[in-house]
Amino acid sequence: MKALMSVGALIGAIALLLLVGMILDVVPSNTVRLVEGYMPMQMLFEVACFVVGFAGLSFLLSAMGMAIPRFWQGIGFWAFVLLYLKFRVYPPIPFSVRAMYGTVSLVAVFMWVSASEEDWKKFKQPIMNVLDAQSGANKLLRYAYLILIPVLIGWTSFNSMKPKSEEPIELRTVHPAPPASTKVHGKTYTLQTSQNPYRVNPEGKYDQEYSNKLIVEQGMGRLMAPNANPWDEKNEGYLKYVREGGEIFFQNCHFCHGDNLNGRGLHAFAFNPIPANFTDPGTIAQLQETFIFWRVSKGGIGLPNEGFPWASVMPPWEQHLTVDEIWKVILFEYWHTGYYPRTWD
Amino acid sequence: MGFLTRKKMMSIMALGAMIGLLLLPIAVSLPALTSGGVAFAEDGKEDGKKDEAKVEKGRDVYYKTEGIVVGAPAPVTTDGPKDYPRYNFESRVLLWFANQQHLYYGSFVLAVPIFCMVVEFMGVVTKDKALAKRYDQLAYDFIKISLTAYSLTAVLGGILIFTFLTLYPAFFGYLSSIFRPVMHIYALMFVAESGTLYIYYYGWDKMKEGFLKWIHLSMSVILNIIGTLLMFLANSWIGFMMSPAGVDEQGRFLGNIWHVLHTALWNPLNLHRILGNMAFGGGVVAAYAAYKFLASKTDEERAHYDWMGYIAMALGVAFLIPLPFAGYWLMREVYAYRQQMGITLMGGLLAWLFIIQATMIGILFLSTNYYLWQAMGRMRGAEKYQRYIKYLVFLLACGYLVFITPHTMVMTPAELKAMGGQQHPVLGNYGVMSAKNGGINVIITTTVLSFVWYMRGNKVSTVSWAKFGNIFMGCFFFFAYINIVGLAIYGYYIPANVRVGLSVPQVATTLSCLFFMFALNSIMMKGAKQTGAIEWGKISARSQYALIMLATAFTWMMGLMGYIRSSVRLFWHVNEIMRDNSPWAYTHTVGFAANMISFNVLFFWISILFVFWLGSLAAKKAPVEAKAAVPGSAPQPAASH
Repeated sequence: MKALMSVGALIGAIALLLLVGMILDVVPSNTVRLVEGYMPMQMLFEVACFVVGFAGLSFLLSAMGMAIPRFWQGIGFWAFVLLYLKFRVYPPIPFSVRAMYGTVSLVAVFMWVSASEEDWKKFKQPIMNVLDAQSGANKLLRYAYLILIPVLIGWTSFNSMKPKSEEPIELRTVHPAPPASTKVHGKTYTLQTSQNPYRVNPEGKYDQEYSNKLIVEQGMGRLMAPNANPWDEKNEGYLKYVREGGEIFFQNCHFCHGDNLNGRGLHAFAFNPIPANFTDPGTIAQLQETFIFWRVSKGGIGLPNEGFPWASVMPPWEQHLTVDEIWKVILFEYWHTGYYPRTWD
Repeated sequence: MGFLTRKKMMSIMALGAMIGLLLLPIAVSLPALTSGGVAFAEDGKEDGKKDEAKVEKGRDVYYKTEGIVVGAPAPVTTDGPKDYPRYNFESRVLLWFANQQHLYYGSFVLAVPIFCMVVEFMGVVTKDKALAKRYDQLAYDFIKISLTAYSLTAVLGGILIFTFLTLYPAFFGYLSSIFRPVMHIYALMFVAESGTLYIYYYGWDKMKEGFLKWIHLSMSVILNIIGTLLMFLANSWIGFMMSPAGVDEQGRFLGNIWHVLHTALWNPLNLHRILGNMAFGGGVVAAYAAYKFLASKTDEERAHYDWMGYIAMALGVAFLIPLPFAGYWLMREVYAYRQQMGITLMGGLLAWLFIIQATMIGILFLSTNYYLWQAMGRMRGAEKYQRYIKYLVFLLACGYLVFITPHTMVMTPAELKAMGGQQHPVLGNYGVMSAKNGGINVIITTTVLSFVWYMRGNKVSTVSWAKFGNIFMGCFFFFAYINIVGLAIYGYYIPANVRVGLSVPQVATTLSCLFFMFALNSIMMKGAKQTGAIEWGKISARSQYALIMLATAFTWMMGLMGYIRSSVRLFWHVNEIMRDNSPWAYTHTVGFAANMISFNVLFFWISILFVFWLGSLAAKKAPVEAKAAVPGSAPQPAASH
C-alpha cells in the first residue's frame, strides 16, 4: 500500500509540476498532446491521475508529519480544477462552461469535506479561528477580510455593470427543427421518409447496411475500407457516386468546410462562427441525410425562425447544384467522415 | 363477539361501497362512451339509407383509420375578445400559474396515498410490534398531511377550469367537445376519490387491528386505483394536445373515444407521471420531516422526524432511479411521433432547457448521496466507509460534469473565434447522447453503491462466504462501471439507431447493480453482527438541508419539464390541428421561463408551509393518549433498512 501511495505521490508531483509550467507559460499546453479521437476520455483519465497523485502526496506528507490541513486540501483541489480547465485544456473553454464546471467542483469539494462530522470540523477550524480571532494574526486576518470582502463584491459589481464593447452572448440553435417537407427544384421532399437515391447496393436498391461497410474507419488516420477506394475508376455504383460527390465537394464546398471536412477551409476563418465541422460527432452524425439535404439546399438564408441568430453564410445550394449533385455530395460527406446517417427504424 | 361481527360487516360494506364508487363512473359512462361511436354510426347507417351523401367520412390523423365524422372541426381562432378575452395581462402566464399549482398539489395528493399504502402494508407485515406501530403512525401522518392538500387541489382545479373558460373559451370549448364523456367520467371519479379518501382517513382508528386492518389496507389499494385512473384521464388531454388522434385533419371527432384517449404519447406520459409524482411526493414529505426535525426541541421529536425523513427519502428515491429511463422512453416516442418535435426539444429551440434539466437531475442524485453519507454518521461502525467517500464524490462529479455539458456552448463571439468553431473538440464530445447516457448511469450506479454502504454501515456479515461475497460485489460494481463507460465510448462508432439501443444494456447494468446487489447484500446482512445502533435523531443538520434541497429541486424540475412539454407544441393549441392565434403564441425566453418556474416553486412552498401549519394545529389539539402513541419516543435500531 505504501509503495502504491508513493507511486501515486510521484505521479502527483510530476503532474503538478507540468501544470504549474503550463500556468506560467513555460511549458506549452500541447506538450502532452490531447490526442484526436481520444480527447474526452484522455481528459477524464488525466484528472483521475491527478486525484490518485494527490491522494498519494497527502499520504506521504502525513507519514512525514507534514499533513496538509483539510481546509487547504479542499481549497487547493478546487483551485486545481479551475487552473486545469483554464490552462491545460485547449482550445480555450468558454467562460460559461468553466463557470459551470467550477461550481460543480465547488459543490463536490464541499460534499467531500463535509461528508463526515470529523472532516467538517477539521475543515471549519481555520474559518472559526479567524472568526474567533484569539491570536493577533487571526485578528489581523479578520480585519483584512472585513475590508477585502466588500471591496471584492464592489469590484465585481462594478465590473459587471461597466459598459462593454464586447458583442453580447448568443444562445445559438445550431440544429433547428427542420420542416416536415421541403421543395427543391420544384419537387417536394418529405424529410421523415425521403432517402438518398445514391445510397444503393450493386442491385441499385437503397441499402444503408451495404454503404456502411464501405465508409472510412473512424479514429486517427481515417483509413479506407479494403477494396473500397472511390477514386478507383473501375468502381461503380455507390463508390462511383461517392467519387462524384467528392468532386462536387472539392469544386464547391472545401473552400469553407476544409479538405478534411473539419470546418477549417481556406476561407473558414473569415467567418464567425467558422463553418460546420463534419468530423465532430455532434453534426452530421446526429442527423438524417434529409436534414442535410434541406440545409444544403436552402443554406443560411433558409434557416427557420428558431435558428436564431441565423449565423450562417452558406449559400442556398439549390441555386447552384442539381438535386442529384446535392445528394451525391452528402453521400461523400458521410463516407469521408466515417459516420452513419441517423435513421429512425 | 357480536360487536366485532357488526364492525366487520360495516367494514366490508364500506369496502363494497368504495368498489361501487370505483365502478360507478365506468358504468354510468358506458352509454356516453358508446353514444359517441356506435350510436352515431348507427344513425349514420340510417341516414345512409335515406341519403348517402349526408354521411361524411374522415381519416384519423394518427391511426389512419376511416370513421364517420361526428364532431365539429377545430375552430379557427382570431386574435380578439371573442376567442381570447383577456385582462390587461398575458393570459398564458395566468393559465401557466393556475395549471402548475394544480399540478403540484395534484401530484402530491396522488403520491402520498401510494406511500401510505406501502408504509401501512409494511406496518401490517412487520413482526416487530413496536416498529409496526411506528409504521402505522407514519402512514397516518402522511395521509393527514395530504388531506388538507386535497381540498386545495380541488380549489385549484376549479380555478384552472375557470381560467380556461374565461381566457381561452374557443380552445376549451373544442377540447370539451372532444372529451365530453371523459370529462364526466373524470368528475365522477373525483367524487369516488373523495368518498374513498374520507372513509379511509376517518376509519383509521376503527379499523386498526386484525381482519379490519386488512380491509383498511384494501381501501388504500382502491383509493390508489381511483387516483391513478384519474391521472390517466387528465393525461389523455395533454396527450391529445401534443399528439392528437381520433380526429381528422380538420379536428373533427370520428366517433372512437378510445383513439382520442390512446394517443401516441399517452402511455409514456402515464408512466413518467406516476414515477414523477412518487418521487415528488417523497421529496415533499421528506422536506416536511426535515423542517420538523430542524424545529424540534426534544430528542424524541428529532428521532421521529429523522426516521420519517429517511423513509420518505428512500421511497422517493426508489422512484427517482427509474424516472430517467421512463423519460427516455417518452422522448423516444416523441421522436417516433414527430421528428421535428424531438429535435425542437433536445437539439433545437428548447435544448437549453434540457441542460438545466440535466443540472437539476444531477442535484437530485447528489443530494441523495450526500444525505446517505450524512446518515452513516448516526451509525456506529460506518466510519470504515467514510474515508472512501471522496472517491464516490469523484465518480459522481465526473458523471455529473459529462451529463450537464452542453453540446453548443454559451459564449461570446470572441470566445467562439478563439475556440475555432461552434463545438469544442474535447468537451463537445460530452454534449451528445452517448456520453450523457454514460454520465447518468455512472451517477445512478454510484447512488446504488452509496445505498449499499448505508445498508451495511453498522453491520458485519457473519455468513461463511462473507469475504467471497464482498469481493464479488466489488467486482460487480467495478465491471458495471467499465461496461457503462465502455458502451458510452462505443456509442460514437456506431449508427445512431443502434446507439439508441445501447441504452438498454447500460440501463440493464445499472438495474442489475440495483437489484442483484441489494438482494445479495440483504442475504449477506441477514443475522449480521451489529457494530452499533442506529441513533435516530443524531444526524447532522446539513443532512436535513440536503432533504430540503432534494424537494426544492424536484419541484423546480417538475415546473421546468411541464413547461418544456407544453411549449414544444410551439404555436399550436392542439398540435397540427388547432392553431394558437393569440398574441402569446411565441416561445418565452429561457430567462423569463426560469423566473416564472421559480415563482411557481416559491408560491407552492409558501402555500404548502401553510398546509403543514394547519396539520400541526390539528396535532396540537390531539388528545394526550394519541400523543403518547407518537413513535420515536424510544429510538431504537431498526431491524432492517
